[in-house]
Amino acid sequence: MNRQTRTTALVAMLLITGCATTPPDVVGAGTQLETRQAQTREFDTLDKAMTMRSVVATLQDLGFTIDQADADLGTITATRLDTYTMRMTVTVVAKTGDRIAVRAFARVGENAITDPATYQDFFIALDKAMFLTQNQVD
Amino acid sequence: MIRALTTLALLALLAGCATTTPTYALRLEESTLEVREAQTRTLVAPSEIAILTATIAVLQDMEFNVERIEKPLGVITASKITDADSASEKTGLFFLDLVCALGGSDCGAMDSAQDDQQITMTIVVLPSLARSGEFRTRITMQRVVYDKMDRIKVLERIGDPAIYQAIFDNLQKSLFLEASEQ
Repeated sequence: MNRQTRTTALVAMLLITGCATTPPDVVGAGTQLETRQAQTREFDTLDKAMTMRSVVATLQDLGFTIDQADADLGTITATRLDTYTMRMTVTVVAKTGDRIAVRAFARVGENAITDPATYQDFFIALDKAMFLTQNQVD
Repeated sequence: MIRALTTLALLALLAGCATTTPTYALRLEESTLEVREAQTRTLVAPSEIAILTATIAVLQDMEFNVERIEKPLGVITASKITDADSASEKTGLFFLDLVCALGGSDCGAMDSAQDDQQITMTIVVLPSLARSGEFRTRITMQRVVYDKMDRIKVLERIGDPAIYQAIFDNLQKSLFLEASEQ
């Protein structure tokens, strides 16, 4: 086998392999603590119901439609159709000491959003909605 | 030459596997306030049940199926699949196919013609925190358009304020009708 044939064979093999098959990705890639930190904010101003109202308003501001929402469990899942399809699940949990934790998770197709800046933007938007709800502007 | 080709093939492979994360995906756009205003109305109704009933009736008037309701949050999600066939688009594609056929090839342009569209709508109806008897109603909508081969052709948010206005007009009428029936 000369060098040229070998190289061609290598390229052909790579092409056939493509994106190699992987075992089912069940547990995700990020470390649990880092992921939680990036995706979670705590608020000490509003009750759970008002926080959920604000989350729904924020999602609508960001162009999402709500797939499902459960006030008791504090879970909202929403979808946005754009040049890509983004799905988000936001959970609202009451903590001790009158604090409310909001956790957001977004995914585009097969890719989980891991960039902390994206979640930062979401929480900035949520902050604004919280302010409007709290001050009874709407 | 071979080395260059190998590099190119490797690059292509890497690009194929690359993850595409949109930047600023969750940043509020400058037009947010304007869009929110177009999508929101404050309506007067005798009770929360009355306005929710009127809203569901409007969705049925517009031939939507209600998918989910979460009353404590005032969230109603509904959807419908309708025809997205456009006569003018099809005429254009027909001629494109004709030109291809004359040139001895098959472009299959007609396959890419719009066929169905799925419209999803979320309506959030909440009692105003400022004034009793008033309800803040906000609608968001988006749609997927499929071509004749069931491939996704368009994914978009529906932003035209006139469409939202038409729905609110219907909702006002529905509230009036529901009230006069009681």
